[in-house]
Amino acid sequence: MRKLLVLFFVLFTLLLFAKERIVINSYMSDPAPRKALAELVEMFQKKYPEYEVVVNTFAHEDFKVLLRTWLASPKGTADVVTWFAGERMRYFAQMNLITPVEEVFKGAKWEDFFPASFKSTCSYKDKIYFIPQSWYWWGVYYRKSVFEKLGIKEPKTWDEFLQVCETLKKNGIVPIAIGTKFPWTAAGWFDILNLRINGLDYHIALTAGEVPYTDPKLMKVFEYWSQIIDKGYLLPNHTAYEWQEAATFLFRGQAGMYYMGQFIKDVAPAEVKDDLDFFRFPIIDPSIPLYEETPIDGFMIPANAPNKNGAIAFLRFIASKEAQEKFAKDLGRLAANVAVAPPDDHARKGLDMILASSGVAQFYDRDTNPEMAEVGMNAFIEFMLNPKRISDILRKLESERKRIYAK
Amino acid sequence: MRKRLTPYLFLTGPLALYFIWVIYPIFRTFIVSFTRWDGMTKEKFVGLDNFVLLFNDRYFILSLINNFKWMIGFVILSIPLGLLFAMLMDQKYPGHKVYKSLIYLPMALSFVVIGQIWSWILEPTGGIVNSFLRYIGLGTLAKPWLSDPKIVTYSLIWAALWRQIPYAMVLFLAGLQSVNKEHVEAAIVDGANAFQRFWYVILPELRPALVIAVTVNIIDSLRAFDIVFVMTRGGPFYSSSVMANYMYIQAFHNYRMGYGAAIAVVQFLITLGFILVYVLNVLKREERL
Repeated sequence: MRKLLVLFFVLFTLLLFAKERIVINSYMSDPAPRKALAELVEMFQKKYPEYEVVVNTFAHEDFKVLLRTWLASPKGTADVVTWFAGERMRYFAQMNLITPVEEVFKGAKWEDFFPASFKSTCSYKDKIYFIPQSWYWWGVYYRKSVFEKLGIKEPKTWDEFLQVCETLKKNGIVPIAIGTKFPWTAAGWFDILNLRINGLDYHIALTAGEVPYTDPKLMKVFEYWSQIIDKGYLLPNHTAYEWQEAATFLFRGQAGMYYMGQFIKDVAPAEVKDDLDFFRFPIIDPSIPLYEETPIDGFMIPANAPNKNGAIAFLRFIASKEAQEKFAKDLGRLAANVAVAPPDDHARKGLDMILASSGVAQFYDRDTNPEMAEVGMNAFIEFMLNPKRISDILRKLESERKRIYAK
Repeated sequence: MRKRLTPYLFLTGPLALYFIWVIYPIFRTFIVSFTRWDGMTKEKFVGLDNFVLLFNDRYFILSLINNFKWMIGFVILSIPLGLLFAMLMDQKYPGHKVYKSLIYLPMALSFVVIGQIWSWILEPTGGIVNSFLRYIGLGTLAKPWLSDPKIVTYSLIWAALWRQIPYAMVLFLAGLQSVNKEHVEAAIVDGANAFQRFWYVILPELRPALVIAVTVNIIDSLRAFDIVFVMTRGGPFYSSSVMANYMYIQAFHNYRMGYGAAIAVVQFLITLGFILVYVLNVLKREERL
């Protein structure tokens, strides 16, 4: 199947090459982002009639698996691919499987388009490999009407947060929704707890593989995490649900809160969309500055792209204010382009939260080596089901870290 | 001369395809299993490292054990139940064709579809199974079928049996066609009761079908993949993982092609062992005849 697929794409792109086509492989498979990208492509084609753009859409998880076959095949298949900034992108840059994209800025510089603080996560060895399109924040989402009915105020501290959980539980509502059939959602909790307890520098060192998982400071993260597990505040049987399925508990008012990225709004039914709000993850240690999770999504060009010039032209369009504004507006995310204002009040609130913080992380599986991320995230799930076994779990995780980073 | 050559000429095409798409990949997998390879950069020869790691990897051992659970579940449940259904379906009574089609129906669906359907059936809050248990007042028996590491593998096997039992039934139905009716009638004349007829006359004649059914079920249990992939992805934390599934995760998610290949080799060798036992068994019987 895979071979056939590759063959198919090779033939396909060979045909396209002659016609100045641009092939984009995209993971935007949820209806809302998919539509937004299609409309962007239309805009691009109107502006540059000499190009014809073909978009191949893949389900998110399949895309992650297939990407490497596209990048590694000797004959290129795609000209532009969607991807994540940070370690996920650097991993391919290290192997020379993607191309630097400085040409996109032609005469201008990075800072004319994007925040200077984004530059490091989008580059490798001082060369830019990644064009950011949008970014978003993570927050604790809840339904305003549910909180109002129960007289709950947004908690600021961990103790207040636990009280909110207790109030929800007493009223027959599961305090915290989470779906861990795909384990990355658990990493969100790990990240934010580690950021709140140990701070950003420690978190970066950990995700870079420099801190042992048996470090006593890390133990504290799991102690706090245990508090909500032991009291039964998490959605029962969360390993049976994908994140979207868990979100329906929140939408139906059966669950109270959900620590999730802004994209949760993509899957919310129209009637609850405006009822959704979020607050900053509560403070645990007041001496630690506030850090947040803000993954950056965007595009890169495979080193074997058949039509590199076309790819650059498309990314130049993507970097433009007009394209970034359109995408941000359609999805309520924050545009990477500095000239674009937040598209709505919700996004304004998110941006304000980030601007008021002292630094940001990407996400566990975007900051960590892919193999480490896989074992790490599964270990988090194992912990969530067996919180008592944490020392044992961390010991095993540490031996994996040693093996993976020894290469 | 020409007459002798012709069949071989006809065979070259299929044989060439067979070598390119089946034999070569098997050898290639053996070679890759001795390397460390991320699927993109150059392969690095590491000798038996992958295999040593493999047998120290508790998740692999868990997957292996799960495969044996599948094997036992398939053989112990789908063979007798398949045979039972086949015996029932072989009778003629009003509506027997309807029953036959209903039982046969899951065979027409792929494991992916069956996995999806059973994910809904076993869904912990609103799924049919738990809702029904609560409805009839047995709410205590309602379980998180797919998220409790202790029972998840059995839930998956159960879902897979939905297709595996009719499969065995079809094999036995075919076998029943070849049972000599005169022998059965003779047994009736001799006054044998239904059980005696089954045990002493029909079952011995079903032996070939039985051997095939057992072998097929064993091989199917070893290559279990799709239902696991659809229903749990091997989770929670690998507790429902089987070898094929773990291989897929290691090779394509963790980018450890060499390690994945080593898993594939182990799986291949175990399967080959069972196939050899079967083939030798068949050869021996043919010699005897």
